[in-house]
Amino acid sequence: MKKKTFILFPLLAMFLSSCLFDSDDDGLSSWLSDQGMPSSYKVQMVEVDGLKPESAKLYRDTLPHTASSRGFLGAASGLVHDAVFDFAIDSAFLADMKEADSAKAYLSLYLFDGFYKFKNLPSNVLPIEEDLKLNVSWIVSEKLNTADYYALESVVDTVWMNELKSWKTKKKADTTLSVSITKKDSLLILDMPSAFVDDVRKNSGNRRLQLRISAPEASHVYRFYGPGSGLLVSPLLYMVEMKNNSYKGYRANRAATMTSNREECSDCLVLHSGVYDSLVVEFPSKPIMKALSDFYGDKFPYEDGNGVDVRQAVIMAELTFYRDDSMGENELGLPVRVVSVTYADSADKVVRSTESYIKFNDSLVVKKGHQNLVFHEGDSLSLQVTAGVRDFINRASDGRSFKMSMMFDLPILLENETTYANRYINSKGDTTYVAFPYSDFSRYDFSSIKDKPARLKLWLASKRGEE
Amino acid sequence: MKKFISALLCVSSFSFASMIGLEAMGQEQIAGGSAAMAGRGFAGNAKTGDAEGVSVVNPARQAFDSKVALNLNFLLDVSTADRSKSHYTKTNLSMPSMNLSFPMGDFGTFGVSLWQHYAGSMREDFENQEENQKAKIEYQSSIYELVPTYAIRLPFYRAISLGASAHFVMGSFTRELTLGPDNSAIGENDAWATTDTDISDYVSGDWEIKNHPAYYTFAAQYRGRMASYFFSFTTPYTLKNDLEYNFRFSEIDTLVPTKHTREIRVPAMLATGVNYRFNKRHNVMADIAWRAWDKDIENAAGSWNLSKVTKTQNDFNISVGYQRDGSDIFYDSYWKRITYRAGAWFKNWYVQDVSEIGGSIGAGFPLGRKGTMLDLAIQGGVRLTDDDRNWSESYIGIRLGLLGVGSWGKTRGQ
Repeated sequence: MKKKTFILFPLLAMFLSSCLFDSDDDGLSSWLSDQGMPSSYKVQMVEVDGLKPESAKLYRDTLPHTASSRGFLGAASGLVHDAVFDFAIDSAFLADMKEADSAKAYLSLYLFDGFYKFKNLPSNVLPIEEDLKLNVSWIVSEKLNTADYYALESVVDTVWMNELKSWKTKKKADTTLSVSITKKDSLLILDMPSAFVDDVRKNSGNRRLQLRISAPEASHVYRFYGPGSGLLVSPLLYMVEMKNNSYKGYRANRAATMTSNREECSDCLVLHSGVYDSLVVEFPSKPIMKALSDFYGDKFPYEDGNGVDVRQAVIMAELTFYRDDSMGENELGLPVRVVSVTYADSADKVVRSTESYIKFNDSLVVKKGHQNLVFHEGDSLSLQVTAGVRDFINRASDGRSFKMSMMFDLPILLENETTYANRYINSKGDTTYVAFPYSDFSRYDFSSIKDKPARLKLWLASKRGEE
Repeated sequence: MKKFISALLCVSSFSFASMIGLEAMGQEQIAGGSAAMAGRGFAGNAKTGDAEGVSVVNPARQAFDSKVALNLNFLLDVSTADRSKSHYTKTNLSMPSMNLSFPMGDFGTFGVSLWQHYAGSMREDFENQEENQKAKIEYQSSIYELVPTYAIRLPFYRAISLGASAHFVMGSFTRELTLGPDNSAIGENDAWATTDTDISDYVSGDWEIKNHPAYYTFAAQYRGRMASYFFSFTTPYTLKNDLEYNFRFSEIDTLVPTKHTREIRVPAMLATGVNYRFNKRHNVMADIAWRAWDKDIENAAGSWNLSKVTKTQNDFNISVGYQRDGSDIFYDSYWKRITYRAGAWFKNWYVQDVSEIGGSIGAGFPLGRKGTMLDLAIQGGVRLTDDDRNWSESYIGIRLGLLGVGSWGKTRGQ
């Protein structure tokens, strides 16, 4: 009996609570309002016009990059991309070459199918017909013993690329070849100048050969498979001994792309795509603080307590720059995405992170395309800087300015597509490419941000009560 | 055992159902919230017995105990707040206290209590798309006290005992108000930026006592043949709540928090009570506890239109109760061995214009021979308010107490 009673009472209470004392639908909202709490946050907007940066600095990417999977050769948009290869040549073949009456060499590069055979490749890319002027330079090592010769295979890429930063050689030769590439072609054959062949065949023993090819006047940047892409498509240096008609193809142990910047204006803020150029811009705190202060009637920056301002929160921040596409050029003719990167405090450190671009004005995108693009309709560039401005207003009491940076991302094929992804599977099960999957080589001069003011638009939620 | 502990932790993570004073400290659990006390209207701090156990109001009482007592209390609480046509119901399950008392004969009695002194909790959401309303509120506040107590009977006058306890305070406070956007004040073209973006106003912090490890209660108890009295004094103290508050956009996307410390000056408490025993097993009792608040309580991180302070008033608790002790003769009928209780109380809350009237009935069911008991109390009442913010509440609750008694260190027949 006891047991039953003990179980019965709690059950009874549960029953009472669920049946007799049901809550009203709007019980909570009226309770909240009696407590002075809202049932939703009122979105408020503040616009800060006439923002001029207090500093703008361009960081150019001039480091050698690995070309293990994909290499570049050519020139476009103020950048020259040289291809550098690292070969190991054995003594037996060099001996044969030395004895031969004449010899020749050529470099075969397999064109990168992903780019040249991509179904949405802009039609202006192919065919390519040009007389390609090549500057060839090379370094032949001292004689290597067998152990050192085999050790060449295991040189670490980063170590080699670090050495490449100071490429010095007197061995240079120029040559011109005519190149013709249509959509069916997959090979780029570069005949090496005879000076190169003659210099190499002078040597004996096992040698390391580093070869740099530059085409500063090329009309196109040739994309080719790197030595890490597999044996079949690796860059190969063929050396042919004419007398016996015997030849040997040497596969590059490693390859790199060395990019040099040929921009003439050193003060200009020219940002390039296809490399890791970035433009860091700092805006002064004062006009932003003043606009907030005018809007809320409070003191900005907030200096009470630990000076961290949580009186309001930035739900969205959008910074709009003036844009004139004639200040830039691109190779593929597609709009190029601009990525904004901001700085935020996290666990006592400043973390640099890419702003998410999840929300955008769908109806505007359908009509006029995404607003974070260059090389498309319109005369403005809008970047979302929510996390950065959020952190900036939060910590503005320490006197900081608002700092952001921008970089180029991939070119975009479907600028009016509201699915902001590189690609997606459509309802038919096919892949729809929103972005072109490979970088364009383009340039855009952002110098105008110095004198054409930007506009910052803030969407805010405030904890302030209503008067 | 593992299962028991996890069940215990689960229960103790809940707290009391009242929606009054959430911004301050929450609802106070009177007299340690023990089921036996609740059955007699929270009166009877002066009642002595052989295993009455720890009283957080009257630490001197336990000196008269002769048996080790372990007591666990549970509360199932249903509370309905209403104002005009709206009402709002909450059900809570909590564990107000756990007590252990350990009599050591002439060396006095040592005891310890883990007492959830104040608590408030709430977790509700609501959405009304037509009116752009979307809110979720979550309160979780708990002020725990770990209370070691010691009491001893005077060697030269055994009817009087003195006791003292130290209250080590700990606990936490969290308030999370998650809100959806109301785009009515901005243009249609700009609404895309905030659609479906919820933000949370998040406040959290710990409780402790300022500049001191604990606050203290001192008590004296007289046990007469018929009447017993006690008097206790609890020192004033300042509760310190170190708060951090910020906005959260998601669990991992937050602002750097602002820090703020609120200090609550809790006044000294005076308590006294009497227990009168007649016809051997019948007891009537009355208790009163009183505190004079002279400072308002700062609310947690005031924002929106929340009031900055919770106004206080003199807080007192008057309770009267009756208890018929069960027979301790094992061979009596079961009905005779049951302890019956009834009581009523009037409590003026520490929150201004809030008073509580409650009544209860209870019973203690002996389990087995050794005095192990299961206490049950059913309570009900109303909390009356007279301001714009707090809603009046009516409540019912069931309390369950498990009392384990052991006669350690005693030989048979002693």
